[in-house]
Amino acid sequence: MKSIKRCQLVMTLFLLVFLICLGVLTARIYKDASFYITHSENYRLGKVYDRNKDVLFDGTNKIDKPVDYLIDVGNLIGDDKGQMENTLVSQNISKLNNYTFNNGIENKNGKAAIYTTLDHEANRAAYNAFMGADGCIAAYNYKTGELLVCTSLPNIDPRGGYVGIENMKSGTLMSKALYGTVPGSTQKVSTVITALEILGQEGLYAKSYSCGGYFINDTGGKIDCHNSWGHGKQNIQQAVENSCNPFFAQLVQDSDMPLESIIEMYTKLGYDVNRTEETETEQEYIDIDGIQCFKASTTLTDTSEFSTQWGCIGQGETLVSPIQLMMWQSAIANGTGKMTMPYLIETVTDVNGNVTERAKTKYSEQIFSTETADSVKQILLTNGANHYQYSIPGYKVAIKSGTAQVKHGAEENALLVGFVDDESFPIAFCVVLENKYSTPAVAENIVTTMLNNLAD
Amino acid sequence: METIIYSAALLAICGIVLLFTSYLENRTGEKVWKKVTDNMELADEANIYNLECDEILIGRHAMADIRIQDMSVSRYHAILNVTDGKWMITDIGSKSGVFVNGEAVRHVRLYEGDVITLGNRSLIFRKRVNR
Amino acid sequence: MKKALTYLISCVFVMAVHGSMLLTVYNNGKYDSVNDVITLSAAVILLDAVYFAIMPLFKQRTYAVDFMLLLILNMSMIFQSCFGGVHFDMKHFITMIAALVSCRIGFMLCRNHRWIQTKKKFFWAGIGILLVVIFLFTGDRSMWIDLGFMSIQPSEFIKPLLVLACATSIGEQQNRHKVGEINIVYDNVIIFGITAVVILFQWWCRDLGSIPTFAAIYASCFFMRICYPKAKFSRKTLIIAGSVVGVAAIAGIILAPAYVKARLFADIWSNPTGDGYQQTKALISIAEGGWFGKGPGYGFLHEVFAYESDIVFATISEEWGLLFAIMTVLMLLLIVAMPLVNPPRSYYHGTMCAGVCAAFTTQMALNIFGSCNMIPFTGVTLPFISAGGSSMVTSGLMIGMIVAAQSPVFTNPKKSKKKGKQKRRTV
Repeated sequence: MKSIKRCQLVMTLFLLVFLICLGVLTARIYKDASFYITHSENYRLGKVYDRNKDVLFDGTNKIDKPVDYLIDVGNLIGDDKGQMENTLVSQNISKLNNYTFNNGIENKNGKAAIYTTLDHEANRAAYNAFMGADGCIAAYNYKTGELLVCTSLPNIDPRGGYVGIENMKSGTLMSKALYGTVPGSTQKVSTVITALEILGQEGLYAKSYSCGGYFINDTGGKIDCHNSWGHGKQNIQQAVENSCNPFFAQLVQDSDMPLESIIEMYTKLGYDVNRTEETETEQEYIDIDGIQCFKASTTLTDTSEFSTQWGCIGQGETLVSPIQLMMWQSAIANGTGKMTMPYLIETVTDVNGNVTERAKTKYSEQIFSTETADSVKQILLTNGANHYQYSIPGYKVAIKSGTAQVKHGAEENALLVGFVDDESFPIAFCVVLENKYSTPAVAENIVTTMLNNLAD
Repeated sequence: METIIYSAALLAICGIVLLFTSYLENRTGEKVWKKVTDNMELADEANIYNLECDEILIGRHAMADIRIQDMSVSRYHAILNVTDGKWMITDIGSKSGVFVNGEAVRHVRLYEGDVITLGNRSLIFRKRVNR
Repeated sequence: MKKALTYLISCVFVMAVHGSMLLTVYNNGKYDSVNDVITLSAAVILLDAVYFAIMPLFKQRTYAVDFMLLLILNMSMIFQSCFGGVHFDMKHFITMIAALVSCRIGFMLCRNHRWIQTKKKFFWAGIGILLVVIFLFTGDRSMWIDLGFMSIQPSEFIKPLLVLACATSIGEQQNRHKVGEINIVYDNVIIFGITAVVILFQWWCRDLGSIPTFAAIYASCFFMRICYPKAKFSRKTLIIAGSVVGVAAIAGIILAPAYVKARLFADIWSNPTGDGYQQTKALISIAEGGWFGKGPGYGFLHEVFAYESDIVFATISEEWGLLFAIMTVLMLLLIVAMPLVNPPRSYYHGTMCAGVCAAFTTQMALNIFGSCNMIPFTGVTLPFISAGGSSMVTSGLMIGMIVAAQSPVFTNPKKSKKKGKQKRRTV
């Protein structure tokens, strides 16, 4: 009867509300389980491979290789322990999710993986070529953007844990290629580009300055040349080959090179010019698949002053990351004035082995004209042909060397940036060899070893 | 993993079987209920009212178990109770009163064939007619 | 004959479920010695057999609810015995039998509503005595009485008593008394007073988990009362009541003490080892279990406090899989939903069923959704599944009420007293 029906109605209401909530709960658990599981001690991530399917990271920690097998890329690939934040695994941990609610935690056949563009063998060869010296090397395909080599010393194989972390050398837990370093004379490439953009090819070639071993600028600052005998009168090609500091100081000071134009051009190249803590709160980064790469910074205040000239020569307060130095080379090598953006992740597969992400080649905006690109390319190729034919044999390289004074001149780092001008082997690279006088390693040899290995 | 699926499936089947059992018991329950209520029903000219629980409100109100839409019937007019096969009718403060076989009553036992008059309307208390 | 057949089929299926679960334990379970599995199996199957043999002695109209109860209880027995490795959980077995006995008691107590309606004052007194007992014998603002060999939670026993008190007062709706200008039904005032006292007492005891259960029981009974045919029902009453509840809920949230608010709006993942430790562990273990679980005994959640009571849903989920855990919950729902298939025949029994249904669904919701962080975690038990004697006995008592509602008798208490030793007519 009606009264009994009303009893049943009340009960139905209670049951229905409960059932709906139960449904919501189930849906929520199903949806959020992969988040919950990340807090589990038993949770294991998927794998990271290099371009030849060599395992660089395994969530189950089952890489059956020598203890230092991953010491070349350890601080770039990283792990899930949270010690190294700016690494591939830390920044892409969700892509390595090797868990589905359907299978629970006991999922041994999860196929979640990141296939990177790295060439582990080449990384290892380059690492060995450092002969234990500190430094870093990065190389990528400037046509596609595939980052092939990015190793840094000192390094760590994260499989061994972080025993003795307090005694580790500084820089062990970070891939140096991503962080700012004093570029030394490799900075002159940027200055040449700037001058070409402002003066034009003919205008720049018309300029010539003499070097007598040093140069006193308009404000009385003294710019030393590494050749105390001086280089005499040079044009731009000769100055680049000699890496002559007084030439570039005079070029920067030239009345045809207004400060605003230099700042504008440097900013276009991606420098953070005159950055102070007050003006900007957020530092910008170059993003490489979630990994933050330091963006160049310099100080330009007065073209006739020492610090500005010194900065344009690549010493003093100027800082550039090796990756960015390498990227500028791509804009020159491509002849387009557009940088090829590097990437590390080729494909990503989910737990079922389906490809969920595939890399695409991206370019930056045009940072300088194609004419400038051609001119710089010619200058650097000539430099390569004249000076590196024997030290980097077998490759048609465009190259610029650099020597960075660090620790207030106590140490000198050797740098080499350049690219192989070969359609079938389009590699741009940048190497930093720290404290070059304390090691038998030579930057040219490191580059050669790496190129040989990549070419195989 | 397979066995747990079989277990879950068996549990589901068991739930359904028990539900079905309950449904069958409901039908046997109806028979028992007929015994309890002495298999009686109420009827007027137009309608037959089954007596399906032990306390039945007769009135004009929409919530009444047996609703008689006639202004002479109070909204809460009378109530029927069954105990052990014996039906009682109780006047619950109606305006026009409750009459059983023409006699005004307050609380009285009903017998087969009694005619209940509520206001202008009459109901017959009788054995259930097979339909 | 047909009845015997359905009885037999039900027996077979219940036993088959237990058998398949035990087989799962044998195949997938974690045990040192197979003897543990054999002991458990023997206990479960024996209890099934004994129960099936005893049940026909009680002449009931229906047995479906009893079967469901046994099904659930033995499932619970298997769950509890497998947490963290198969063993025979003697304590749970005893409380389980206590639940079956209290179900019988509930059934005998409630099947004749005319008799029980004359005894309503005992239930009021019972609640009063329990409140005094809690006040006197429990520790400082605690809900537990420690007897040394076991702990009793007296507040649990208030739940069936409140259901009974609400149901027994339902028939009094017509006895209005004019006090001043207002018509008052004394019983309604008394029931409201009892509920208010109980809830305030729980508030004082900081046992916030029980309050929604009592509130739900009262709400269902209140709704039944204003819908009672003899009560002068009006939509106005319903709307007023609804808005009062709504305002009270909002005011409650706004005026709640800081620690209650902190529980309501906490992000447990920001500090997984802090206040939300149990919920985070529960959710992680559910995620680890997936749909089909890790296998009985292989879970890790049994290392977390209250794994066998407050977060038991997650513990089962981890070892048996979310699918099986949800099926178990649905079985529990099916028990309280039985009055929908087989409707009660009196308003008293209907109210009782609605009260039991409200109590069960609220308890289950608080336990399951609380442990899964959908609502604040309050630490109430999941009826029949959680370990704990008080909860088991009271849940059994409440299921007994549902059995009674399905197999009621309609005899007058006075007559049955006179007839004394005569065989009561059962229906």
